[in-house]
This record gives sequence, structure tokens and C-alpha cells, in this order.
Amino acid sequence: MFKLFKTILKAGEATTKYPFAPFPVSPGFRGKPELDPTQCISCGACTIACPANALSMGTDAQAGTRTWELFLGRCIFCGRCEEVCPTHALALTPEFELAVGRREDLFQRATFKLEPCAECGQPFASHKEVDYALALLVQSGLPAEEAEAQRTHLATCPACKRKQNLADPSKVALGPYINKGML
Amino acid sequence: MNAANPNALIIAPGNHVPVPLSESEQIAQLKKTLLKDIQRSAYVYRVDCGGCNGCEIEIFAAITPIFDAERFGIKVVASPRHADILLFTGAVTRAMRMPALRAYQAAPDPKICISYGACGCGGGIFHDLYCVWGGTDKILPVDVYIPGCPPTPPATIYGFALALGLLGQKLKANHHQEGESELAQPRWPDMPLDLRVQLEREARRMAGYLYGRQIADKYMSLLDLKSPQEFNARIREYLKQEDDPRLTEIFTRLNDISAAVLG
Repeated sequence: MFKLFKTILKAGEATTKYPFAPFPVSPGFRGKPELDPTQCISCGACTIACPANALSMGTDAQAGTRTWELFLGRCIFCGRCEEVCPTHALALTPEFELAVGRREDLFQRATFKLEPCAECGQPFASHKEVDYALALLVQSGLPAEEAEAQRTHLATCPACKRKQNLADPSKVALGPYINKGML
Repeated sequence: MNAANPNALIIAPGNHVPVPLSESEQIAQLKKTLLKDIQRSAYVYRVDCGGCNGCEIEIFAAITPIFDAERFGIKVVASPRHADILLFTGAVTRAMRMPALRAYQAAPDPKICISYGACGCGGGIFHDLYCVWGGTDKILPVDVYIPGCPPTPPATIYGFALALGLLGQKLKANHHQEGESELAQPRWPDMPLDLRVQLEREARRMAGYLYGRQIADKYMSLLDLKSPQEFNARIREYLKQEDDPRLTEIFTRLNDISAAVLG
């Protein structure tokens, strides 16, 4: 009898204290995906990678906005969105207490402004995406003034760029290809 | 249709549009009164509406001694007639719609319905399949949604506690509006873009996306473009501290790349 008690004492308590104490999750645990909206350029890579279509991007051309939406009820926490995010805006957190009483609480949204095309005025990409492209040009060695001079070119929608190129071939930016000897 | 009990007759879905059952006001009131001061055990009946069994495994993990949901009086029972809580898992396939509704009707009122797992909450990866209804709330009134694929045992216990009104809800709907002059910063702006991309690619190729990203970030945080000697010393110290031959191998390759790019 006492031997049994001794064994029990030695074994200790295996049950977690969970609801009364925080649950220590293992490192690398994949919980709720959290968007850092300042870092997001709304490129939509995560919405393409999402196997469950929990992530979606809706464009409202009238209002000139694009809305990123995560429906946590459908998310399978695979981490592919984190994998493809070019700006590291999306990351999985160890947060697992996601149960809700109302379905609407499972939706996380972020709205971004669209950049109107410099030629036709139709919105075609988000404002932050154009800014990010400029920042990348600067990072890859282009002087800041030269990059800023290319803003109009970057803020032109693909259809208008094509038309411009047809009308005036000198506007085609071949610089990078010539430098790399690809032509 | 019986006006006193709208659920007496299950409405056949017309035109492939599901019509969820509804809960009468009297029963909702009854449920509120019960949950205000629940002083007894809550029995759970698990309804598999066409899931992959992952959710079932986690439910049973939640009643093992490690998580021990039974210390709160939560017990899994074998019949819906004994149940207070119905746990619906799976994306509700066409074949499992009627059995799920029968289990719902067999359970005595007031009952709590829980949508369990990604499939139960919104159809999960099966949401647009031709043969599923895509979520429990398409056929039934749901009280609590527990997302996860599958939800871990602690998440399950949290969901039960939420359903019984013992814990509060943490997750809230969130809508961020882009502010003025919000800018996305490129990472490591002082580093040449080519170098950063090549380092990240190689680290990911060697260690996978998650650890590759962490390793590349660590490498770039240690990288000092101005004084290579100091940088080498720092790396040697870090690798010694970590004492992991795999990490050493990856760092050697990253070093080769930065040497080739920087010249």
C-alpha cells in the first residue's frame, strides 16, 4: 500500500494545469497567422499559396481599395502563407486559443489603397507595392533620384505600358538585360 | 410543418442550397439559464460528419490523463440521448447530413452544438467539393466554433470552457485600414539585394522554409560588411556556442556565397 503511494509520489502529476495556467507550446508550433499590416504590400502571394482558400484578396475598383481577408475557420495552419510572403509581413504565432461564439469573429481583414495607373487612371496595384518596388530598386544599387524618376513608369498598368512601347520603342527599359549580356 | 416545433420535419435542401435548422427562442432562453449556473457535468457526443479522423484523435487526446478533460466533468458518451454537448467534426458530406441531423434531434434540449476543426467551421480544404455542404452551420445552429486542423487538446479544452461560459473569448474580428504614409520596408536595407536573395534561397534550400528563414536571418544579423575579420570571429563564436554540425555546414555555404558576391 505504502509502496504504491511512494510510486505515485515519485511519478508526480502528468496532467497539465492548462486552463488555470498558460499552456507551454513547443517551439515551431503553428498557431494563428498574424498579419503585420504596415509590412504587407497586398501582392496576393499568400492567397495563391493558401491550399484551403482561407486567405483571399478582394479588389474594389470603385473605391480604389484592396482587402486582404483571413477566414480562420478554414485555415489549416500549414504555414505556406508565411513561406511565400516576400516582406515577412505574415507569420504564424503560437496563439491557439481561437474558439469563438460568433462566426464573424473568425474573420481578420486589412484594407489597402490602390495606385491608379499614371496613364489611364484605372487602379492596378496597391500603392505600397509600387513604393516597395522603388525601395527594392534603391536597395539593388540604383541612386534614390534615379529610382524616383522611374516612378511614373512603375505606376503605369501593364496594358498602358504595352501601348506606350508600341508607340515609342525608345521607352522600353532594356538596361538590365543589356548589362547582363542577355541580348 | 409543425408550428410548435419547427425542427419536427427536416426541410429537404432545395436547389442545393442548405437550409439550416433553427433554434426556438424558448430553447435559447433555457440554454442561457442553464449556462448561467451550470453545476453538473457536461456530456459530449461526437458526431463525425465525414472528417478525416484527425479531429477524433485530438478529441480523444483531450480526455487522456495528460489533458484530462474529465476533471471538469466533460465526458465523451456513446449516445446522443445522453449528450449536453454535440461535437460536429468534418465538412458535412452529403451522405452524413441526415445522420448528423438525426443525432441533433436525438439529443435532449437544451444542447450546445460545437463546430470542431477547420472542416466543421468552414469546410476546411474540402469547402468547395461537390459532395460536401461545407461546414456544420450550413445545416445546424452552432454555438461555438473551434478552428484548427485539427485543434490541439488545449484548444479543445478552451473551446469546451468557452461553450460552458467558464472562459471568455479572446479572438475578435479585426479590420485594419491602411493609414497615411504607411510603407513596407525592405529587409536588411544596407545589404545588396542580390546577396540577400541568394543567402535566403540557399538557407531555405538547405534547411527548409522555416528554419532556413531563421538561419538566414541570424546570418544576416551577424554579417558585417565593413570588417570581415570581426564578422568571422563572431560567426565562429556563435557556431561554437550552438555546437551543431548541420548549422556549421549551412553557415559555411552562406559564407561562400557572400564571399563570391562581395568579392
